[in-house]
Amino acid sequence: MYSSAAHLAVLSLIVGAGSALLVCLLGLSYLRRVRMERPAIGTFNGRDVVTVFVLLSTIPLFYLSLPRWLLTSFLVLTFASALSFGLRPLLPPLALWSVVGGLLGLNLWLGTNALGTVAGWQVFWAENDVIVLLAAVFVANLYVQGGMRLKHVAWFALALAAYDVVFTSVAPVTDALVEAFLGFPLDPSIGMRFGFDNAAIGIGDLLVYGLFVLAAAKGYGRRAGRVAVAVVVFFGAVVPAGVPLLIDYVNARTDTLVPAQFWFGPAAFGTWLWLRHRYGRERTMREFLAGEDVGGRSSAAPRPPAVGSSAAGSGGHPDRAAAGSGPNVSGGGGAR
Amino acid sequence: MLDTGIRQFRMAMGIVWGRRLDPANIERLVGDALATLAEFGAPGADVGMLVDGPLTDPAARRQSATSNLRRTARRLSVVSPFYARRFAAAGVDVGRLDPDRLAAVPVTGKRDLVEHAGDFRATDVAAHLATRTTGTTGRPAEIWMSRYETRLWPAIGALAAVLRDDLRPEDLLQVNVSSRATAAVILDVATCALIGAGCRLLGVIPPDQALDSLGEGRVTLLTATPSYLGELVTAARRRGLGPADFRLRRIDVGGECLSPSLAAAARATFGAEVDDHFGMTEILPVTGRSCEQGHLHHDINTGHVEYLDPDTGAPAAAGALATVVVTPYFPYRECTPVFRYDTRDLVRRLPEEPLTCTVSGLPATSKVLGKADQALRSGTRVITPRELVEAVEALPTCPWPARFRAVIDDGRPRLTLPAAAVDGFGIAATVEHLADRGLDVDLDVVADDQAPQLRPLRCDLRETTFAARPAPTGV
Repeated sequence: MYSSAAHLAVLSLIVGAGSALLVCLLGLSYLRRVRMERPAIGTFNGRDVVTVFVLLSTIPLFYLSLPRWLLTSFLVLTFASALSFGLRPLLPPLALWSVVGGLLGLNLWLGTNALGTVAGWQVFWAENDVIVLLAAVFVANLYVQGGMRLKHVAWFALALAAYDVVFTSVAPVTDALVEAFLGFPLDPSIGMRFGFDNAAIGIGDLLVYGLFVLAAAKGYGRRAGRVAVAVVVFFGAVVPAGVPLLIDYVNARTDTLVPAQFWFGPAAFGTWLWLRHRYGRERTMREFLAGEDVGGRSSAAPRPPAVGSSAAGSGGHPDRAAAGSGPNVSGGGGAR
Repeated sequence: MLDTGIRQFRMAMGIVWGRRLDPANIERLVGDALATLAEFGAPGADVGMLVDGPLTDPAARRQSATSNLRRTARRLSVVSPFYARRFAAAGVDVGRLDPDRLAAVPVTGKRDLVEHAGDFRATDVAAHLATRTTGTTGRPAEIWMSRYETRLWPAIGALAAVLRDDLRPEDLLQVNVSSRATAAVILDVATCALIGAGCRLLGVIPPDQALDSLGEGRVTLLTATPSYLGELVTAARRRGLGPADFRLRRIDVGGECLSPSLAAAARATFGAEVDDHFGMTEILPVTGRSCEQGHLHHDINTGHVEYLDPDTGAPAAAGALATVVVTPYFPYRECTPVFRYDTRDLVRRLPEEPLTCTVSGLPATSKVLGKADQALRSGTRVITPRELVEAVEALPTCPWPARFRAVIDDGRPRLTLPAAAVDGFGIAATVEHLADRGLDVDLDVVADDQAPQLRPLRCDLRETTFAARPAPTGV
């Protein structure tokens, strides 16, 4: 079996651009129509950015130290939290936990039993993608509806740019994560298998893209949101998909790991500076809700999240747009 | 947001474990609450739990009261010479106290506080600031506060004020209570400082000067006693001022009975809501507030509140008159603690029915009806000061604040009013007006210059200024 770099780039572009667009558009739609409950006191601030950055930076290292069963347990907990936060305003409790349990249970079964064929991989990825997509949409909304501003996202993305380079190119943490997750249940990535090749993008990347677009739309309106979507698609999907054609990102395991945030972070930061220069201060959530950008119904959850908590960790890793070529059946390292 | 959660957790743990709270932590929570309002315009879910406490369930309420009472009594038996003696004399096992066994501890009266002031002071904290009652009911009592209390009370008050939207950073609060009411004044100042609101301390100055200040257009909140509010309303009406001349959005009153007539007149004159509060220096930081249905709700998160028959000291029955007896809990009160303090403020217990008001999570009574010792007994009939205030202030002559003297003379109530209260209305009509309100009284009328001698009011604690003094000549 053989896969060319160009072929992989096209697959990466399809997966990366498609999933980034889906996260952004679904996230915007959720932001406009659904109100997540928030604690009595608390709004996202600069310290939360640092906290989230530290958590997202260290959780992967923690994950790598866990035995498989414990890692899977943590992932179940993480995804169950993220999904329940977002579905709570939409579904009654019984339906909510049925959906969450069904999605996660099916994923565990597929991840354990269906990865023997390409079709099995595709079914697994499709189901996994739904979970990761929803988790990214919900967590991005949780942060932005909790008061996260474009300023926070811009600095966050810039910090992740440095992080991504270090942990992809210098210390191979990202490589280890791909190896730990690929081919096992609840892979925190959106991906798809095309014959021999797997193309995937991590939930951390998608979360940052969602945050960027949602915060831009909240802070500066629809036009800024459209600009942000364009930045996400180009610097978050097109560039990372195409850059392996120019730069060799193939690792020792023959996976191609692109530090997507390295390309996206500076672009996001620059976009924020431009928006701030052009439009001035960002709107607050109150001003956003009072504006014309909000439509549809507003939902209220029967129970709020824990007071003061910013969000459950996404469990993801703002790592890369990973285009890995996996083995025929079991995932993990692959050979071309 | 994460640090806000940690702060709330720390505060909650302090409350649960009964340890001293960190005032700085609560002060930072005030900042968090302000940031929340700036971002969202309103607090999030379950703000009621944070403001009014989690004690809506009777079982939880009782459990909380038991642990708080035991903790408070245990501490007092060690650090308060007065209560160490009192518990010992009563043979009370402080470790087994609960709301049902409280009756074993005699109530503490103002006389105790005045005559044994030094013995009330806790031996384990340094006294920092003394605040005296204004002494309108006799000799003033002195309450010492620790530095901890001077920071904790405003912090808790500011947090509640922000979350209830009682005080905003853009507000300017004008304080027209006696400058000697140290506790009230420093609470107002510190609360405004924490929230970033303006605070104008004027004291009980001549009403026209206070009106001039209100009319400058920046004052949005006013704190005063009902009697002083009566003087302000009278002066404003005399000057032809109306809502368009003020920017007030709320007037907070307390310390005396506010009649519906005066409240309505104040609303009409100043164009602002009038809120009736309950507060008393001796039992701080336990306070009470009125709801839209006219109930008085005491804060049971910071203290235990009992409603006792004013004569027998037994728990008052539903619908009966009661005196309010309060035990502020440690760690909210530490320097001059009191246990079962009998305020002698009369209230009427409500019927045993579920409350339907917006503050139904807190127990409620009628509004304060006046001091028990100022109530009149005519046969089996008890005439409360509030009845008299409300009846007099409802006279068409608008005699605000109500000046009167009421006594029992030969078994009948005799009411003395200043002439201005009946001028143009007539004595017979006044008697009929009072009778329509259940007050079958004999009426006397005295000259207006004798009015201040009829009944002391808090507005009589006048603070002079040089403003009305003629310009001096010479050196």
